[in-house]
Amino acid sequence: MLHRFAPLALLALPAVADAAAFSGKASLPDGRPAYGAMVTVSDATGTMRQTVYAAADGSYAIRTPYAGKLKLRVRMAGFADGETTREAGATSSARVDLALGQFASLAAMNETLSASAYNARLPWPDVRRDRPAFVSQCNYCHQVGNAWTRVPRDHEQWIAEVAKMENMLAMPSKAEGATIARVLAQGFDGKPFAASQSYGASAELAKAKVREWLVGDGYTFIHDADIAQDGLLYGTDEGHDLLWVLNRETGKIDKYPLPDSHLPRGGLFSGMKLPIGQFTGQHGPHSMAQTSDGRIWITNALSSTLMSFDPKTKAFKLYPVGHDALYPHTIRVDAHDVVWFTIVASNQIGRFDPKTEQMTVLHLPANGVLRWVTDMLFSTLMRIGSWFPGEAVHLNLSTHRFFGTRILAFPYGIDVNPVDGSIWYAKLYASKIGRIDPVTLAVKEWDTPMQGPRRPRFDAAGKFWIPAFDEGGLMRFDPKTERFATWRIPVVGRNEYETPYALNVDRRSGQVWMAANNSDRIIRFDPASQRFFTYPSPTRVTVLRDFSFTSDGQVCSSSSNMPAAAIEDGRANFVCIEPEGGAIDRKALGG
Amino acid sequence: MNLARKRPGMAALVAGTMAVVALLVGYLGLSAYGYLVPAVVALICAALVWQGRLAGLVRVIALVSMVSGTLLVLVLALGDGLGDRKLDISAVALLVNLATGGPATALVAPLLLLGLRPGRPLATWFA
Repeated sequence: MLHRFAPLALLALPAVADAAAFSGKASLPDGRPAYGAMVTVSDATGTMRQTVYAAADGSYAIRTPYAGKLKLRVRMAGFADGETTREAGATSSARVDLALGQFASLAAMNETLSASAYNARLPWPDVRRDRPAFVSQCNYCHQVGNAWTRVPRDHEQWIAEVAKMENMLAMPSKAEGATIARVLAQGFDGKPFAASQSYGASAELAKAKVREWLVGDGYTFIHDADIAQDGLLYGTDEGHDLLWVLNRETGKIDKYPLPDSHLPRGGLFSGMKLPIGQFTGQHGPHSMAQTSDGRIWITNALSSTLMSFDPKTKAFKLYPVGHDALYPHTIRVDAHDVVWFTIVASNQIGRFDPKTEQMTVLHLPANGVLRWVTDMLFSTLMRIGSWFPGEAVHLNLSTHRFFGTRILAFPYGIDVNPVDGSIWYAKLYASKIGRIDPVTLAVKEWDTPMQGPRRPRFDAAGKFWIPAFDEGGLMRFDPKTERFATWRIPVVGRNEYETPYALNVDRRSGQVWMAANNSDRIIRFDPASQRFFTYPSPTRVTVLRDFSFTSDGQVCSSSSNMPAAAIEDGRANFVCIEPEGGAIDRKALGG
Repeated sequence: MNLARKRPGMAALVAGTMAVVALLVGYLGLSAYGYLVPAVVALICAALVWQGRLAGLVRVIALVSMVSGTLLVLVLALGDGLGDRKLDISAVALLVNLATGGPATALVAPLLLLGLRPGRPLATWFA
């Protein structure tokens, strides 16, 4: 694998600034090497940290740009964290051996498990029948099973929780909601239990390095993060109507508030109750893509508008999508600088030409009479809801209450085929993918073999890679043969399942990167060997919704569990994985 | 109303259809309470047709339901040119339609209105 990343690694080497460097051994409580353990160094403020993974002999080496009183932590599934602090100067290097500990109790061990270990124990009456609605509607926005969500509640309290989520756009049917509440009341009982999770150490893992920067507050919701032409990492904060900008070299984070609109809190969704602070903005900036002139195009989900941001002037400009468009979502730019985006809640695709400023909204196939009725009525119901702000009255007219989620089509992810320039999308609830001819706008759709196609991407050869969120799978579609291939994502514990949300393909290496949001992992799939490689997140409660690549091969995203307060740090973060960063540090430190 | 009169087949057909549809919509309304309104209205209409009472009210309800339902479908399908007004119009049409028995009543309405023309057995039944 090294050959794939080696050129990128050489490019990255001179750019790495090192102040405090540490090396040593990470060991298990019995003294054996802790292969795959995460060794994390946090800066003196606790707002930035870097992590490497221990090699088979337990050795690690890490260079950081930090100075001052630094915290070192070793972490590995099945063991208690080991921690120490070191005072580091501007260019200090120290040997620090770190040991994992034993848990004082079963309950203490349980606190370290990922959400997947908890929701694996939920007593579904019929897993195949009853769990899909839970995965689709609950895991959609956040983990269920982390410390924030696994608090024991009785059935009535869980019914109230389900209702609260419905007030924020979750769409289980009444019957599904009742089942979910009953199962969660039984499954999250607060009693300690035995469990074992393995995150699968590998030589590949020991080469990697992770960088994290905390950002915002407990209700920051950076849905997507993207590397722009200037090398900065931009993040759209749907919760606070902000554009965050991170300079990865300096760690400096700037924020740019979106201009005010005439819309109320919640935008076109002001009829929702919005109980826990999310969707508090008017615009709800969601996704980004950049045209060759440098402008960054943002879909504003709540105000149903398109917005441009000029990184040079910092100026925003607003473009209404119009019609009955509801919730502009994922956005991409084609080779002619035309902007394409999905509009999830009204089953449409938007096309905007920045040169002519012409907006076109394309209705996608209805996929049945009932879906047509629901898709058509959804925007109307939101309009009715907006006449009664915060009352969620429209829910009592929504057909999802008896038909469930599948009654909507929900065009979600979108990408441009680099081979022929065609536009492809995935319908999350209808479980279809579709192709749009960019000239004629003719549409053709295919059923996916796995449910819940989420945010697909093309590789350089024009193969379409699709995460199957509802079934914990990976799909590949070849537009030439019109055939699918499928894989199940490996899990970390017995009876667990995975929820792949973000996916992107590094077109230089061909590697497929996916988020495994149920178990705090990032996964790399190597199409050549058909092997999955796991990168455990240093931070518990990691939910990633999109990936972007830096010019030196790093894979970046934003941690956006709803709410961010449930993340281990209580805040959102930007995160970048450097697949060869650990190996570079090891080499630089003579390892 | 003369109870000794024989109920025309059209009255039984329309009332029966509306009652069945009302019960179905009412069942959906157990999950989404807003649908209880059209269920109740449709059930009342079915009872009125069955008994041959308040022809004027039944006619108005059927007419408004049909017009609002038709308007709703037309605006949703073809109303992009209305701009932001599209959703205001469709929202009002939907609420009016639900208040007058919902889509199911709107579908039965043409049959009902045709039957209520002067001289028809259904109109005579209401006389």
